[in-house]
Amino acid sequence: MSSTEQGTSSAAPAEPTTAPESAAAPEVPESFYYVHGKDKVVHKVSAGALQHSALIHGMISNLGYTEEQAKANPFPFENIDGDILQMVVDWCNQHKGKPTPPEDTNLPKQKEKLFDLVLAVNYLEIKELLTYCCKQVAMMVKGKSPEEIREIWMIPTDAEDEAAEKEAKKRAGKEAAGETAAAAGDAK
Amino acid sequence: MSSLSEMPELVLENIIRLSDFRSVLTLRQVCRDFLNFIDDLNDSKLPDSKIEEISINTDGPENICLVYENLDPDLFFRHEFIYSVRKNSRSTYLKTTHLENTNIVDVAVRDLELILKFQKCNLERLCLSFFTFRLPNNSSVHTLAIKLCDMFKELNRTIKTKNLTIQMDDQSKFMLIIPFIDSDTLEDIYLRSIVKKVNINRIVKTEQWKKADKVQCDFFALNMNVEDIFHFSQFTITTFSISAKELDFLRKAITSSSNFYSSRLGNEFIFNESKELSNLWGPAIVSGNSYSPKRTWYFGMKNSKEKVLELISKNFCSRFEIIKLEDVPNGAIVNEYNEN
Repeated sequence: MSSTEQGTSSAAPAEPTTAPESAAAPEVPESFYYVHGKDKVVHKVSAGALQHSALIHGMISNLGYTEEQAKANPFPFENIDGDILQMVVDWCNQHKGKPTPPEDTNLPKQKEKLFDLVLAVNYLEIKELLTYCCKQVAMMVKGKSPEEIREIWMIPTDAEDEAAEKEAKKRAGKEAAGETAAAAGDAK
Repeated sequence: MSSLSEMPELVLENIIRLSDFRSVLTLRQVCRDFLNFIDDLNDSKLPDSKIEEISINTDGPENICLVYENLDPDLFFRHEFIYSVRKNSRSTYLKTTHLENTNIVDVAVRDLELILKFQKCNLERLCLSFFTFRLPNNSSVHTLAIKLCDMFKELNRTIKTKNLTIQMDDQSKFMLIIPFIDSDTLEDIYLRSIVKKVNINRIVKTEQWKKADKVQCDFFALNMNVEDIFHFSQFTITTFSISAKELDFLRKAITSSSNFYSSRLGNEFIFNESKELSNLWGPAIVSGNSYSPKRTWYFGMKNSKEKVLELISKNFCSRFEIIKLEDVPNGAIVNEYNEN
């Protein structure tokens, strides 16, 4: 597949002069789709780049949208933050039609971003990127003690977990009691 | 922000698969959810531990010592755990954990079981050493071998190791371990016992014994025939007595073998069939003194013109060694290969 299109912003402006041979080469013009995240910022992405996402690929493969229809119906991913979706779109564009390298060093180093990216990538079913992200998490866990892991990755201890569960149950119990009381009140 | 504990199962599975095995052991300790998740995972989804050698032995006053290591300079690691029955604790270099009322032998066996879950490549060596004769009669360490056997049974798969070393003070314990070793991987068996005489009639019938390449036994092997050892490329074993006929059987087997290296067959009772050997093989080169004579014969090999079997018969042992034809002393006769 021709890769003259580099996604939304980095596409080279085409010169409308005498058509060079290479411009005539792509027989099927590349189709584009539109996605947006929580921030509603719409990203234009080529079908080639979107192939990385099994979820989106499955959604678009039988749609047969025209350019206008695609533009009018961007895929909403309300569960993904705008900056995270931007990262995903950038990665898909960079790796469009290319074999993915064994390592990817451009992943976010901050754990908050990395975790949100992992969740987004898992949801969008981008297998290679998920592997890179998980490798990165594995690297961040390496050499740490259980206490350090608990602290860094905000994991409650079993005791805290149990206390929270008890509290939740208590609350649920109270609410239920409230409801029954209310129901009893209604009955009166 | 999302927490690691909120990751979907597929993501956690991926993280575990891509972690090193020490990290997975640490993740198990982070919280009960992780522990259950990791323990419920199919072994194939766990990373390879890359351990080369595991040893478990009874050590000092009611201690069990578990060591696993890889001495490859690129991967080097060595971890040692001491389980103390008296202190009811497990210690590493860095810390000691008191285990209150838990049975310490169970803890050691469970730890080994956990480590074995991560074993994907073959171990170079598995060394099990149970010298419990100095322990008090009621010590729980006496149950170690039986508990290991029960754990191996539960594993539902054999342990892949090239070398198996077992040191026991009770002959019955060898068979608690040997059947659980993968016979296709096992090359080398080393058995030691402080009991002088060990009945090996059940051991020699195992697939593990029959398929191994080398064997060494540091005791008098009871109920052993030369037919039980002729397939080894190297053996060091001592039996009670050996006859000229049996030595001739070994001579035939070794000269027709293509991978024999060297061996030693000891005998407790003095060998007194030298005349029969000379009748079978012709005159020997005799050296040493009359009290302890050394008789040497040379035999051509079936598959090599350059190699020769040197067979030395002494009062209490016979040695078999493959040497180069040019190393045969001048004047010595090399008997031609003869399969009869």
